[in-house]
Amino acid sequence: MEINERNIKVWSTIGTRATFGMAALELAKKYDDLIVLTCDVSTSAGLDRFRKTFPEKYIDVGIAEQNMIGIAAGLASENYKVITTTFTPFQTARCCEQIKVNLGYMKNKVCMVGIASGLALGTLGYTHCSIEDIGIIRSIPGISIISPADGLETVKALEAAINYETSCYLRLTGISNNPIIYSKDYKFEIGKSIKLKEGKDITIICCGAVVHECLRASEILETNNVSCKVINMHTIKPIDRNVIKEAVKTKLIVTVEEHNIIGGLGSAVAECKSELKDTPAQLSLGIKDTYDKGGEYNFLKEKHGLSSEKIVNDILQKIKFQNEQ
Amino acid sequence: MQEEKKLEYLDKIKKFSVNVRKNILKMALSAGSSSAHIGGALSITDIVSTLFAYKMNFEKNNPLDENRDRFILSKGHACLAYYAALCGIGYISEEELNTFEKNESNLLGHPVINKELGIEFSNGSLGMGLSLGIGVALSSLKKKKNFNVFVVVGDGECNEGSVWEAAMAAPNFKLNNLHVIIDRNNFQQTGSNKEIMDLGNLKDKWKSFGWDTTELDGHNLTDLINYFSESDTINKPKAIVANTIKGKGFSFFENNNNWHHAVLTKSLYEKAINELQE
Amino acid sequence: MSNNKKLQEIFLESLDIKEDKFNEGLKYNEIPEWDSIGHMSLISAIEEKFSITMETDDIIDFNSFQKGQEILESKYQVKFE
Repeated sequence: MEINERNIKVWSTIGTRATFGMAALELAKKYDDLIVLTCDVSTSAGLDRFRKTFPEKYIDVGIAEQNMIGIAAGLASENYKVITTTFTPFQTARCCEQIKVNLGYMKNKVCMVGIASGLALGTLGYTHCSIEDIGIIRSIPGISIISPADGLETVKALEAAINYETSCYLRLTGISNNPIIYSKDYKFEIGKSIKLKEGKDITIICCGAVVHECLRASEILETNNVSCKVINMHTIKPIDRNVIKEAVKTKLIVTVEEHNIIGGLGSAVAECKSELKDTPAQLSLGIKDTYDKGGEYNFLKEKHGLSSEKIVNDILQKIKFQNEQ
Repeated sequence: MQEEKKLEYLDKIKKFSVNVRKNILKMALSAGSSSAHIGGALSITDIVSTLFAYKMNFEKNNPLDENRDRFILSKGHACLAYYAALCGIGYISEEELNTFEKNESNLLGHPVINKELGIEFSNGSLGMGLSLGIGVALSSLKKKKNFNVFVVVGDGECNEGSVWEAAMAAPNFKLNNLHVIIDRNNFQQTGSNKEIMDLGNLKDKWKSFGWDTTELDGHNLTDLINYFSESDTINKPKAIVANTIKGKGFSFFENNNNWHHAVLTKSLYEKAINELQE
Repeated sequence: MSNNKKLQEIFLESLDIKEDKFNEGLKYNEIPEWDSIGHMSLISAIEEKFSITMETDDIIDFNSFQKGQEILESKYQVKFE
């Protein structure tokens, strides 16, 4: 698939799930030994075209996630390039132990793609939301975790992941009409965060679809005389320690994620920061360890403080609090 | 198969199984107070011996041969039999066997993946081996290599839902090269299957899931040879419910669930070795 | 170029089909290329080439070439002969 303005716009319109489906189709044309496994989610993952075009590279195991991971590992042990996908809670929590044993412990290389992560399916309730997945996968050695910010990053991350040295977990967030962060091609490397905006007062470290909200928030903060650096930490593990070392030179670190503030990006940044001397405070924004009432995506983002306005408010409050101390 | 040939194989498997039992005892003794899963290793010994000494294709001195038949010990705690069998085919040395459960050993109380030693996967968390077997069997068919895959699961292990996910999938994927051998020794960790979670009619269950299912005596080498000599002609995934005795081969182990995981003392070791030599 | 021809060309290009697969009676899902993903590609191209932004309801209602022409004409000031 060419990386051009038209395709970038299509990927934005269709959302990261369907973009993944399109990207997987292109990869199947390029890699003979690619196999995609799903749990009865072909349409939801944009894989209908893939299924029809490459039936021999597509395996649907039915609603059986533990079996899917075992089969994927078996295929990977025989040197296939393997992608698994289903909705994130089932891709991560349901088959967590299979992931630990088959991918972490045995190091069979598989790329897992969790679709509709975070709050995307909030109208279906929290069984279909995922605010724990980064925390779960992070504590399994040997699995890299990537959360692309937009459609183009999803395309680039997928190809990078299937060629990476470890198993990967791709956390896809957002819904259709997913805002564009990257409007043209750029260099993507697993483990290397991307500075989207320079700034000297505070640093916002974020990942996934909320990157867009953070960029908007940083623009609003500029009008409040707060200069923000915005870092797209697309790879949560291995985390980019160098950028955190730089970030602690600013007066406040803010982490923003569509995930529990326990266990995810915020925790990963805090762990790294805690090793450094004389660092500023960290404000961790995300879901505050609760399953609350469900609702539509934008409504839930607002409720959990992940809209640009709420992010601005929280940051300004924190700065005020710091200044008063 | 000609009678003469069959007798030859019988003799080969019998000798192999005696060595496996001997090495199980040796490793269990060396494990000392760490204990060892003796009962479940002995119940699969004759099955494992038939597979390694007769049925499975593999290359001498080449554990990584792409065309090898694959063996997956889903009931990983029975690994004493697995390690002893791998020693029997020359992939693991007797010296290596002596390192069983020692610090940083390659041979722990559950198999740890080490393909150079012939250990295909790290099994032990129950319910996962059959799914791995499906992935490997699929690969064999896709690459047109047509090697066989043998997965040994425990009867207690069939409590795990993940076993049935795999059981449902294999016939759907038409994996004619996949075998599951259920070690029906009627016991699990803290009691009999009947006491803990009655499995009902296992043969019917596997059959209803679409497997070609056979029930046989897991210690009758003739029955085992007869089955495996014809099994390649069956065009379905194959389930073998093998009726076995936990602790088989030694009078004081047999059907004694205390030997699920226990310490083998020197005196009991001597007693067992004597029985083996009779 | 007439808008009719322009729209046809958009169909050919964004669905990546040759003229022999196209006719003015073409309906959504009638050919494999015009599936949900093809549809998004098509709408994106239409918006770009006619400099419009379509509403969700109209994107969903756009289920054939002819219906598309009707929608574009009645709501987006695109004149077809």
